[in-house]
Amino acid sequence: MMAEHEREKLLADLGRQARIVAGREIYFDWEGFFWDPNDWNEEIARILALESGLEDLTEAHWKVLRFFREYYFYHGRAPMNRHLKEGVLMSLGAIESLFPGGIRLGARRLAGLPNPRSCF
Amino acid sequence: MIYLDNAATSFPKPREVLDKMLRDYTEMGVSPGRGSYDLALEAEDIVRCARRKLALFFGAPDPDRIIFAANATDALNIAFNGLLRPGDHVISTRLEHNSVLRPLYHFRERGWISYDLVRFDGKGFVDPDEIGRNVKQNTRLVIVSHASNVLGTVQPVEEIGRVCAERGIPFIIDASQSAGKIPIDMAAWKVSAVAFTGHKALFGPTGIGGLAISSDLDIKPSRFGGTGVDSRSPIHTDTFPHRLEAGTINLMGIMGLSAGMDYIMQKGIEAIHGEEMTLLKRLRDGLSGLDHVETYCAGDLSNHVAVLTADIDDLNPEDAGAILDGDFNIAVRVGLHCAPLVHEDIGTIDRGAIRFSPGIFNTPEDIDRAIEAMASMS
Repeated sequence: MMAEHEREKLLADLGRQARIVAGREIYFDWEGFFWDPNDWNEEIARILALESGLEDLTEAHWKVLRFFREYYFYHGRAPMNRHLKEGVLMSLGAIESLFPGGIRLGARRLAGLPNPRSCF
Repeated sequence: MIYLDNAATSFPKPREVLDKMLRDYTEMGVSPGRGSYDLALEAEDIVRCARRKLALFFGAPDPDRIIFAANATDALNIAFNGLLRPGDHVISTRLEHNSVLRPLYHFRERGWISYDLVRFDGKGFVDPDEIGRNVKQNTRLVIVSHASNVLGTVQPVEEIGRVCAERGIPFIIDASQSAGKIPIDMAAWKVSAVAFTGHKALFGPTGIGGLAISSDLDIKPSRFGGTGVDSRSPIHTDTFPHRLEAGTINLMGIMGLSAGMDYIMQKGIEAIHGEEMTLLKRLRDGLSGLDHVETYCAGDLSNHVAVLTADIDDLNPEDAGAILDGDFNIAVRVGLHCAPLVHEDIGTIDRGAIRFSPGIFNTPEDIDRAIEAMASMS
């Protein structure tokens, strides 16, 4: 049986951290992005939203989150900027304002998508 | 779309460059220098002509010492692999792109070399004397980025060249951001080699670049194979340029690069640089007047290329790039620009920043649109 500190070290080496959210153990990366998008559900999204300062997820929030997920699972990647804008019928500036943390660290993270591997 | 990412690659390419490249390749797209039929000789002439033009462009003494590579990173790897030996010391700067930082790190991690990276000042410039102060008995090479791909600052390579020449140390410049924008004179500046890429300010396609090498720099081959000469010998040829060009070269890329240089010569390198800097100054002035927007090392644009990096308080640069693209149809580059140490030193390592790099096909109206977009986000 692996000791707890050994397990944590192994997860850290993998770039993962485990958290219990809504009674489930979920792996996140060090920026808080889901390791596995299939771990997401609406209850978990509500809890994470609350943690980020969003007391209530409105229909506008859900529209963005659902579009992100539907697009991701259909295309195998996050939507391009213009597809996101067309898909939710909102400007990207409006999406930025909707979510604490903005588009990437807010909306995308709450939607349970993995961390984008941009040139960073 | 308003394209402001010319530091990554120039876009669009001049129509005449694309037309000439396609026409030449359609008519002469055979293996250059590998056959005795006329067309192969004509293709080889095109390559030879491109070497001559590049030699003129860089003030290089010998066209045969212009060697082609896939890009500047590839050219730098050829130089490092062919020059550095176990125990060598290298001096470079914290302005460098990963094209320099990563090969040096790779060699150091294997215990082959050591290196020092010289800091830049608050205006984005390296002090040539600081290079001199870092020289050790085993310093084998100084490598400096001619123009920073983050700050746009043009480094005092002539003075650095003098410092290196006085000490007998080879000096290479990475001209990825300067070739085609600033006249380069290897001989006068005592530069041992220039690494260049074709797809930025030289207006060629991606996949072509190279190394211009002075007569007194000995770079050993690190790749071996077919050259089209001396086929009986099992030993790779020692003669330039084939010494450092293993395998068939990128003829279509060379044709495009050659047409790109024609375009520059026709338009005038100073005229191109002047147009771009006028746009950059307009951008700098516009952004400087915005609350919550910070620009970096752009106070004095006299030794600059058209690259400007900025940041908006409380807005993640990655989101800013998405909004610029999605809402304003403006393409910029966000992140660390493959130059992490620059971002460490200007304080943007955690989030990166927004880089604007106008080109000759931009208009003042494009710049005003970018300023308006930044104003609406800040």
